[in-house]
Amino acid sequence: MAEAHVESLAVNDWSGGVHPYRVGHRKLGMWLFIMSDSLTFGALLIVYSYARASSVSWPTPFAFSPSILFSSVMTLVLLSSSLTMVFAVSAAKQGKLGSARKWLLATMVLGLTFVVLHLMEWRHLMVDEGLQPFELPKEWTEPGKWPGASPLFGSTFFGITGLHMFHVLTGVCYLGVVMARIKKMKEDVEVSGLYWHFVDLVWMFVFPLIYLLSVDYHHVLGK
Amino acid sequence: MVDSKEREIGALNMVMLGLAVLAVGVAAWNVISDGFRAGTDDLFLVLVCLMLALLFALPTLMWAQANGKLTNPFADEAIAEGAADTGTHEAHGGSDRQNTIIWVSLLALTGFEVLLAYIQVPITLMLIVLMGASIIKAALIVAYFMHLKFERLSLILTIVPTLVVLLCLFAIFFPDSFRLHDMRPQEPVHQVEHEG
Repeated sequence: MAEAHVESLAVNDWSGGVHPYRVGHRKLGMWLFIMSDSLTFGALLIVYSYARASSVSWPTPFAFSPSILFSSVMTLVLLSSSLTMVFAVSAAKQGKLGSARKWLLATMVLGLTFVVLHLMEWRHLMVDEGLQPFELPKEWTEPGKWPGASPLFGSTFFGITGLHMFHVLTGVCYLGVVMARIKKMKEDVEVSGLYWHFVDLVWMFVFPLIYLLSVDYHHVLGK
Repeated sequence: MVDSKEREIGALNMVMLGLAVLAVGVAAWNVISDGFRAGTDDLFLVLVCLMLALLFALPTLMWAQANGKLTNPFADEAIAEGAADTGTHEAHGGSDRQNTIIWVSLLALTGFEVLLAYIQVPITLMLIVLMGASIIKAALIVAYFMHLKFERLSLILTIVPTLVVLLCLFAIFFPDSFRLHDMRPQEPVHQVEHEG
């Protein structure tokens, strides 16, 4: 009778019991972290949208090459890294630690590729265009471009993409630790996978909001 | 004892359902009386009310489903999950083929977004379509790559509605940006340079 009662507690949702969510403490902790981090990025993206919508003029400087091309390739790289991460988790669950290690390494390489491409994009904007975190290039504010444009463009762009890049870099380090200690940290492959997919998920909002909504039509396909 | 517990559950369900109906009522009243004259403010009020209605209705819907009064559209997964209920960390998730299909879908949606950026449509329409595509992509990643689809419903209902409500609460401030925009001088102000 008592066992049946405990059984019903374990099966019914919201009934509590020993494992109300049926996940380990690490995984639950990662989900809670992801929730809090989602709010951080959510707040930043809403602040960006607020600044943009309230400005009289907002720059739309991203030409197809290199900005949109680079950011599209970065999206492809990040999505592919999510797939390799899924394969790593799957392999770890099946006890194929060697295979899991290889997939983790592939994920790290793709993550680093993303960071390198991102830095190249930053270099183009900062060195070639002259964009600074708190200052727009003088050419951008001239008539014919975006006169009176808000200098918040630079701070929101570098702030949001920089924080995301920091997350990717942290993720690469995290995956490196998990890969090195995979025998002792088998469960952590799945937990680190949650983090990695979250970083990918955030980019799914950063990419359209920051890049695709700021396409420079004057330079469409090199015209 | 059992009867009193059932009565208590029934009363709570009625309260929750009543609150859900009240929230829907406020949304309907807003639409009928104001007709979205206040623009995005009305839109957000209606959305928040509908979301609250969903949150209030969820426990009752879950109770109805648990008691066989509603059919579960994810019955297969639920059964599989229940059958695997032997420990705290079951091996669950989609197959490699399924994950590859999801990856291809994500790439296709990204391609569509990039293509859309080069079709000159009004920015509001573009924003709605881009955000719609991004939400679909995020849902695919969370459901399949992060395996949330295969977790217990209690975990899903703890994470997803909380995040959605909090992000919507953030977004409530957003319409204020249009007012701020309208209050600014429309002609760009030429900055006076103080040199030397």
